[in-house]
Parts: sequence; C-alpha cells; structure tokens
Amino acid sequence: MAKTYDYLFKLLLIGDSGVGKTSILFRFSEDAFNISFISTIGIDFKIRTIDLDGKKVKLQIWDTAGQERFRTITTAYYRGSMGIMLVYDVTNEKSFENIKNWIRNIEENASADVEKMILGNKCDLDSKRQVSKERGEQLAVEYQIKFVETSAKDSLNVEYAFYTLARDIKAKMEKKQEASNPPGARGGTHQLKSNDQQRKPPSWLSRCSIL
Amino acid sequence: MSCSSTEDLPDQYKELFTQDGVLLKACIGRPISDLNSIGMLCVVQNSDGTKCIEWRPNDLITIDSDTQDQEWAVVNTIGRRQRTLSGNMTSDYAAARARIVRIPLAELKTFKVTRNNQQMQFSTKSGVWQNTFYFQHGNAEIFVAYLKNHVKTAKTRHDRNTYVVVESNIDSQALNKSFTELDIFTENTTDVVWSLVSNFKQRPYETTMEAFSKLTDIVWSVLVYYGNEGLNGKRDVSEEVADLLTKSMSALEDTTSITKSDEYEVITVKPTLPPRPCIPRGTPLSTEKWEGLQDTEGRILEVEGVKQLIFRGGVAHSIRPAVWKYLLDYYPWRSTHSEIRKIQKRKTEEYFSMKLQWRSITERQESRFSEYRERKSLVEKDVNRTDRSHPFFAGDNNPNVLLLQDILMTYVMYNFDLGYVQGMSDVLAPLLLLLGNEVDSFWCFAGFMEKIASNFDMDQAGMKQQLLNLQQLLTFAVPDLAKHLASKDSGNMYFCFRWLLVWFKREFSFSDIMRLWEVLWTGLPCANFHLLICVAILDAEKDVLISKDYGFNEILKHVNDLSMCLDIDKILSTAEGIYHQLMSAPHLTDQIRIILGIPTAANNPNDRNEESESEDLGDEEPGRENARNQANGYTRI
Ligand SMILES: Nc1nc2c(ncn2[C@@H]2O[C@H](COP(=O)(O)OP(=O)(O)O)[C@@H](O)[C@H]2O)c(=O)[nH]1
Ligand SMILES: [Mg+2]
Repeated sequence: MAKTYDYLFKLLLIGDSGVGKTSILFRFSEDAFNISFISTIGIDFKIRTIDLDGKKVKLQIWDTAGQERFRTITTAYYRGSMGIMLVYDVTNEKSFENIKNWIRNIEENASADVEKMILGNKCDLDSKRQVSKERGEQLAVEYQIKFVETSAKDSLNVEYAFYTLARDIKAKMEKKQEASNPPGARGGTHQLKSNDQQRKPPSWLSRCSIL
Repeated sequence: MSCSSTEDLPDQYKELFTQDGVLLKACIGRPISDLNSIGMLCVVQNSDGTKCIEWRPNDLITIDSDTQDQEWAVVNTIGRRQRTLSGNMTSDYAAARARIVRIPLAELKTFKVTRNNQQMQFSTKSGVWQNTFYFQHGNAEIFVAYLKNHVKTAKTRHDRNTYVVVESNIDSQALNKSFTELDIFTENTTDVVWSLVSNFKQRPYETTMEAFSKLTDIVWSVLVYYGNEGLNGKRDVSEEVADLLTKSMSALEDTTSITKSDEYEVITVKPTLPPRPCIPRGTPLSTEKWEGLQDTEGRILEVEGVKQLIFRGGVAHSIRPAVWKYLLDYYPWRSTHSEIRKIQKRKTEEYFSMKLQWRSITERQESRFSEYRERKSLVEKDVNRTDRSHPFFAGDNNPNVLLLQDILMTYVMYNFDLGYVQGMSDVLAPLLLLLGNEVDSFWCFAGFMEKIASNFDMDQAGMKQQLLNLQQLLTFAVPDLAKHLASKDSGNMYFCFRWLLVWFKREFSFSDIMRLWEVLWTGLPCANFHLLICVAILDAEKDVLISKDYGFNEILKHVNDLSMCLDIDKILSTAEGIYHQLMSAPHLTDQIRIILGIPTAANNPNDRNEESESEDLGDEEPGRENARNQANGYTRI
C-alpha cells in the first residue's frame, strides 16, 4: 500500500476544561463548529493531512479531557507527541493563569524538545474578554513560545496555528537529519534519507507507540 | 501456633487472621492523634476462647525490631510479630498498646464494606459505626470472608454492603453449610444452576444447554413465583442443589488431578474455558408482574426475585420511573405506600433546603469563594454540552438544561468535597429525561453516584483499580486478545476509560443505556458485572483487533468508534455467558473470584475440607492463611 504522506506528526491539545480544545480540533479537521458540542471524556484523536512546502504531512491530533483529576490518565498519552497546543479561553482569567501549570505538566510528562504554541481561544467574544491580547503575548515571550489568538467559532487563526506548529516541527526534524548526515555526503544522501522517511514513518512514531 | 514466649499476653492468645496495611480512619472515643495510622487488623482468640477483632498500630508491631532484614521479615512474619511483642516494655510500647482497638466478636452487631471494598466499618450498637478501617493494600474481601467463619451474618435487604451479625462465635462447620445455602443460593441462583451444568460436561453441548434452560426455569419459578412460601421451598431446593454442586465440584477436581498426574499434559495443554452458553435475554418486568410483587400496602417482599427478573429482562419503560427509585436506593424495597409518602416529603424538603444554600449565595460572596466558583463554572460549561442533540435538551434556553444545572449544583452542596466532576452530567441526563422531576432525579442521581463514586476519586484510584481488574478478567477470559493488547502497549486498558467512567453512557442510545443501567443496578449475577460487559464487547471485536494487527492508536480509535454501533441485548447475553464460563472453569483463580465477589478458595467449603485436617477451623494456623494471602498478593508485609 502506498504511503499517502511524507511525515506523520503527533500533536496534542491541552488546557482547562471548556476553553475550546475540542472545538478547535473540530474546526481544523471538519471545518465546522457546533455550539452544543459534547464534552470530552477520556481521550480521542483526529487526523488531517496537510500540504507543507511540497510535503504531505499527516497530523494526528490528540484531544484530552481537561479536568485536573483525569490528568494521571491523559498524561499517559503525552509521550511521543512532537507538538503541543496550550489553549486558554480569553473570556476566562483562570484558564489563562493555568497555562503556567499546563507548561509545568508538559515538562514533567512530554519529551523536552516538544514544540509548543499558546492559543488564546474565543477571541470572537470581545464583550466578555477577561484576558487582553497583550497579556497573552507577554506570557508567550516569557516562555519563548509562539502565540496566537483564535476563534474556533469564526474560524480565525485555527489553520494558521496548526500550520505554524507543523512547520516548526518539520524544520526542527530536518535540521536534526541534516546534522546527523555525514559531511560531504550532502545532496544524494539527503535525498535518500528523505525517501526513507516516506516509506517508513520517522523514528518518533515508534517512540509514540511505546506509550 | 504457640504463643508461650509472649510475656504480656495470655497463654492461649492466638492470632487467627491478620491483615496488614490497614488504616484506622475513625474510632469513637479515641483522640484524633490515634487516627490515620497504619496497622494490622486481626481476628484473635483470647485465653477464654472468646474472639476479638483487633487492630494494632504498626509502631507496636515494629517497636523493637532492629532486625529489619526485608527477606527475613517476609518469610517469617509471624515469628517477627511474636518477637516484637515479647520485646521490652518501653513507655512507647505501653503508649502504643493503649492504642489497640478491640471489638469482641460477641458484641459485634453489624459491619459494612464500602468504598470499592476497601473500607470496613464495625458497630456494636445499632445506629453508630464505632470503627472505620481503610484497607490500603488490596481490599477487605478476604477479611470479610474470614470473619464469616466466626460469625453468622445476613445481608440487610436494603444494602448489599451491610452485614448483620445473626449469631456470633458459631461452629464453623455448621456455618459453612448455611453459607452455601444462604449466600450462594439466594444471591447467585444462576451460578448454582450453571455449576450443575458442568456435571453434564461429557454430554454434547446441545444437551447441556437444554438441561440448563430447563433447570434455570425451575429455579427461577421457585424463587420468583412462590412468594412467601418460597422460603421453605428454597431451602429444600438449595440443599439438593448444594449436593449436586458438591458432586460437580468433585468431578471437576478429578479432571484437574488427572491433568496434574501427567506432567506433560500440564505443560502442553493450556486450561481453556468451558464452552460459552448462549443465554437468551428475558422479557422486561411488566406492569402486571410488578404490581403483583407488591403486597397490599405496597411493600416489595421478594427483592432478590425482582432483581433476578430485572437482571434477565430489564424493566418495561412505563414502570421505570417507579422501579428505578428502588434500584437506586431512593425508596427502600420494603417500605409501604405511606412510608414512601413520608420519604418523599422529607427528601423534597431536604433537597430544597440544599438548593437554597447555593441559590442564596450572593455575587459578592461568590467572588470570595473560589472553590464554589470553580465548581459552578465546571457545571455550567458541562450542562451546555450534555446531550444537546436530544430533543429533551435541545435548543436555546431549554428549561431542562437549567434543571440539569440546578440538580448538579445542589449535588455540589450535597457532596462538596467531591464537587462536580466531568461525566456527572452524562450520568444525570438519562435520569432526568426519564423521571422529569427535579427532586426524584436528584435522589436517584445521588443513589447512582453512591454506586460509582470511586470513578470520580481525586486520585483516580478507583478507575485505575477497575482498569486493572478488567485487564485481569480479560487475561483469564480472552487470553489471546489480552496478549495482543499487551503487545501493543495497550495492556493498561486506558482505551476503556470512557466506558467505565460513565458506565457506557457514551456508547449507547438513551433507550439502550436505560436497559443496561437497570440491569447493572441489580448487582447480579456478581460484583463488577460491568467489567464483564467490557470483556463481552472486546470479545466481539477480538477478530478485527487481532487479524488487522491493530496497534496502539488504532485500538483506541476502533474502540471509540464503537459508540452507537453496539447491540445491547447481544452484549448482555454474551457477558452473562462469559460469567458462567468463568464460574465453571476448573482453573478459576482467587484473583478472579475476588474481582467477582465470590468466595475464594480459602473460603470455599469444598476446598477447605480437603485442605484442613483439623475440624475446628478456628484453630487454623494464621501462618497458613498468611501464606495463602501472600500467594494472592493480598497481604503485604
Ligand atoms: N464563542 C465561542 N465559543 C467557543 C469557541 N470555542 C469553543 N466554544 C464553546 O465553548 C464551549 C467549550 O468548548 P469545547 O470545545 O467543548 O472545550 P474543551 O473542553 O476545551 O474541549 C462550547 O460550548 C463551545 O461551543 C469559540 O471560539 N468561540
Ligand atoms: Mg473537549
């Protein structure tokens, strides 16, 4: 069976309950929004393949239940993830404050070089806003993580966020490959490597299945 | 066991049974400083022959044990205990001795096992639980089983977890007999019947099944239709059944010993389960039958019989609102019409006073009450995304969504420590849909929560325990699938998390979930039957999962996608079939028995006769008990 993608990235959505993780994922994978969406119990993932600089990148995006007490179970699924979206709700101060806790949670449970991005969701609800864009940006600078405000409802910046995260992961991965290539064997060997990736999913995939 | 070396204890003082790692949680009349310490719970025999339940703090046990060599301690626990007890009478030691808790068996009135079988409470006078113990390692089942050797108990009608001591200090032999009669027969009719089937092992499968269906019919009619006279009828039948049971058991033992005598067979032949019987589902409990089961004043007398009927076929939709209130412990089964009216009145007042508590919290109060605010915000978020596609909850400003919120908020006040946990709104929705009424829904919800409270533990210990138990059941019942899952790093069964957390609510339509829940609420045919539901669903998916060599991700996806594609009657029937397979498996392990809440080998009269040379089981050496428990992994040193 022919592989339909060049890369497969495992991504993770985390953040407090109700910030819109499932809605963001639904927007990205189905391009739809449902105001009465069902709350997430346990764990699930969705797939979408995107085109990134000429490469087919299959994104496997994991969605988790947000409530604190389920973390012991959900963190079991962190391992092997290459990118994490930290989501808060701009109309909920508490969810913003908790981003710091979620970052700590990642540090304890995910691999150290995982790519991260902070999303301030529900930016369509301007009248209810509790967290300014500036505070979001400031937090991102503090942690040196990329940041964007999104709206799953109005489909604002959701595509942008996933493309950006995926591109960063791809860049990091290719840089690593290059570094591991013996000098002088550039070009041909690199090409070969890249083909290799096509047939066999990258090594992190096997890592991901050893959860 | 000889205790002559112990100086400060009576000559004939004996530890009959010990369970380590037991926390003293509450004890009337003791200072708080005595509580929450770990110790050992024992059954001891005094010099005058009377027996006591005794709890001793660990500092007493380890007071002068300078020999902390782990290996030695494991091998020779009893020796270590004796030695330490005979140690110097330091003041610490005396203080520790003062903390010993003693409950003379002769005075024991009731005891209760709760919290996922990990908590035991004792009472020597009605109305108060004097002592509460928490079993940190494993659970209280072995202790209860042992206790039943020394006191004759009956389960209370309204609460399966509460045991009333009918007679204390009884002769164990006599008890074992009545145990077979009472416990096994009344609680697990189908067990007994199925055990009989193993007698017909040599016959073709069809014949067995035919015989089985006939037998079950007979037994059920005795149970369900004889009403009051059935009590006598029951005894007679039960004796017959017990006889047959013994025969079938010895037949099974023969088979095992043959295998045992041939070493090669043991190695090459894997023990397999007997064929799975196909047990058809029954018809739902009808209005006529339900009305017929009540006496003129509305009492339901044959509770076990009613539960059997509900287990077999569920409840007709029109009488669900009535029957569920009993199944969910809102109404006691034996209450009269007038008692029920009183209960309704009292519970209505209680509900509204709790509701008023949170309704009267002002905005300013709320702004300084973060724990309340957090709970409230979680509830609001979840009711807005609970079953909104169902007409009952659909649309903007739907009053039923507000009801959902009010009930959950009141539950937060009812159980503030637990608070609101995701999944609760899912559990409540079908109850509210069916009952319509706010107060009834609340109390039925509270009753349901009692049954699944451990699912929502802060540390998720209850969920983890269930996932582990599920894995053990699957390994025994469907070993090839268990092996496949383990090889795909899915042995922790996390992919079943959603099933267990809300009792399959997300997997079935409203009408199917109502059927499944009412069957599960009966508590029949064994403890943790919901785990056998999991096994049944997984068993049906086994071929796909294995033949397509599904890995970690695909397993989760496949299981998640089963939602709304499952046939409830087929699953219930399969689960019951698996239950009977397990019950008649000659190689059934104590681990499985404990999960299913059936007597372990250590407590099985048949095995006991074989093992114990002495007639009086009260004299059985604790060392042997201990060794057995260690083998089961239940007593930790
Ligand atoms: N206005 C608005 N509402 C949103 C947005 N994203 C999610 N929601 C709503 O917020 C609630 C929680 O969303 P959900 O995706 O279930 O959150 P999760 O718990 O993080 O998965 C739902 O009622 C959504 O309809 C958004 O971008 N704008
Ligand atoms: Mg969600």
